[in-house]
Parts: sequence; structure tokens; C-alpha cells
Amino acid sequence: MGRMNVLALLEMAAPVESPDDGVRAIAAAKAGDLAVFERLMRQHERLVLMTAARLLGKLEDAQDASQEVFLRLYRNLGKIGAMQNLPGWLYRVTLNVCHDMTRKRPASVAVDEMPELAATGADPQQSAARAERRRALLMSLRFLSEKERAAMVLRDLEGLSTEEVARALGSSEATVRSQISKARIKVRAFMERYFRSNI
Amino acid sequence: MNCQEWEERIALYAAGDAGAADAGETERHIAACAGCQVFWSELKQSLEWLREAHQEEIAPAHYAAVRARVMAQLESGRAPWWKQVWVYGVGIAAVAVVLMAVRPHAEPPRVAMVMPATVERARDAGQGAGSRPGGLPPREVGRRKRLPHRQAEIILVKLETDNPDVVIYWIAEKKGD
Repeated sequence: MGRMNVLALLEMAAPVESPDDGVRAIAAAKAGDLAVFERLMRQHERLVLMTAARLLGKLEDAQDASQEVFLRLYRNLGKIGAMQNLPGWLYRVTLNVCHDMTRKRPASVAVDEMPELAATGADPQQSAARAERRRALLMSLRFLSEKERAAMVLRDLEGLSTEEVARALGSSEATVRSQISKARIKVRAFMERYFRSNI
Repeated sequence: MNCQEWEERIALYAAGDAGAADAGETERHIAACAGCQVFWSELKQSLEWLREAHQEEIAPAHYAAVRARVMAQLESGRAPWWKQVWVYGVGIAAVAVVLMAVRPHAEPPRVAMVMPATVERARDAGQGAGSRPGGLPPREVGRRKRLPHRQAEIILVKLETDNPDVVIYWIAEKKGD
């Protein structure tokens, strides 16, 4: 990873904050301190943009979704009690915003416009193989139902527990487990077919 | 139970989502079934690739672009205080007028349109029931005298409130017809 990217990632990294700091930050942002709100955005932008990119499959759409999520956050700062609730709230709103966007403009299956990745400086052959896998993987996500995709993105990519996924999706844990297992089976089947036909 | 029925359980087991009892059973089945062993290893491989893809980062510039768009939108929604003052001023004046109009037991303000020509005539003649010495005649509504075409016409409106110390005059100029 290049020095510039390391520096950029360090800049993006959230500072360690106590719960009190978090409450104060939300209160200050609510009172109209835009600098504090920008800091809040920096702390959670990865969560929102990455999730939106995985769900929508197109960076441009994911950026639109992220913008809407943060504007909703600003308008609803009064309803968010503490920082501990913020990630859960952001996941829920990101899912809702992406759902609305998918209904308005159905996601395309094209994967050429997937998120542009930061340069990793790896061996070109390895990078090509990884890019190919990634392309197939993202394509496979397009073939899942919206709920299956959301459950898989949150559980397998974002690393949320089944309980947290259920809360974000507003469904039961049993339903989430069923959606996750179906999604994993479909992705495996897609990957197997994709690489068998591309070898 | 055939192998297709095991798939969902294996899919949960592969990422640690199966309960303890289910996990034991699934493990035993995988150990005994070659087809399910292949399915399990392929599924695990797919999940590893998924996580690997997740470790890759979106370029920082894309985050910055979102941040800039949000901040621009929030800042555009805020006008500086000096641009908002007139809004408050108009609001306060409107509230004051409404309060005056709906005050219980208050006499409705009396409005009289007084023509300067009539005022002058009344003063000169020293008559007029409501005329006050040295002041404008209250509530005298004069018949409008036809002025020559395009000549400026002064309209004086007198607003009497229930407070005898408060009288409001409104002077306007009307040009031509």
C-alpha cells in the first residue's frame, strides 16, 4: 500500500472516543456545529459507503445513497440517543435508502462500474486473479433477492451477528438464518459455474 | 435426509451460524459424505473470497466527495443571520397586527381616508363636526375630487385605535388614474 494511501486511511480512521464524547458530539452536531458533524461523518462513512456499494453494486449510486443517509442523520440527530446506537441506526437507514433507490432505478448487472479500489501494490498476476474473483463475487450478489443480499452483506461482509442483522432488517433471527444460508448456497453455485466456464 | 437437505445446514455451519447440536450433526455428515465435503469446501472458499473482497478499500477520494456534497448541502441550508433578520422582523410585525386585531373587547380600529384637498377646505372654512383645532379632522371621509389626468394624488389614511394616544397615519401617493 502506498504511503499516500496509508496516510489517507489514517486520516479516515475514527479517533477513540468515550461514550461521553460521543454523546457530546451528537449534542454539538445537533446544535448546528457542522465541524463536529463532519467528524461524525468521517467516523462512520466507511460503514455507510461500503454497505451501500455492496448492496447497490455501483459506486456512483452508493455515493448518492451515502449522501442521503448522512442528510437523514443530520435531520434525525435528536432521535439518536447515544453513539452506541449510531452504527445500528446507520445500517438500518442505509438499507432503507438502498431499497428505495433500487425500486426507483433497478440495479444493473454490469460490474464494470464497481467501486474503484485503492491501489494495493500487489503482484499483477495475483491482482488480476483477485480482481476476477471480485468481479464474479459482485456479480453473484446481483442474483440474490434484495433481502438475501442485505442479510449476506451485513452478516458475511460487515460481520454483524445474526441478531444485529435481524434488528437491521426488521425480521426474526430464524428468517435471517434462512436468508443467509440460501444466499451462501446461491453464491457458491454461481462462483462454481463462473469459474468452471472461465477455465 | 438427502444431501440437498443438508445444504442449508452446511451453509450455516460453514460460517459458524449453526447451533451446537446442529453443528455436531453436520460435522458428522460431512465426514461421511464426499459430495457434501466438496460442497462445504467450495462454500468456505466463496466466503473467504467474499471477506477478502471486503478487506479492499474504496479510494479515500470517494469518501471525501460524499462528505463535500453533504457539507455543501447543509451549509446551503443555512443563511447568515443578517439575511434572516428581515424574516423575523416581518414575523413580529405580523404577530403584532394579528394580536391587535383579535384582542378581546377591543374596539375595532376605525379607518378614515382623508383627502388633503378636503382637509384644506375644512380647515379654511373652520367647519366640520369632527375637526380639532390645529389637527386633522378625524374620520372625515371626503368625496374624492376628480384631479386632472396624471396629476399626483395624495391619499391619507388615518387609523384610530382604541388607545386615544395612538393614531396611525398612512400617506400614499397615487399617480394618474
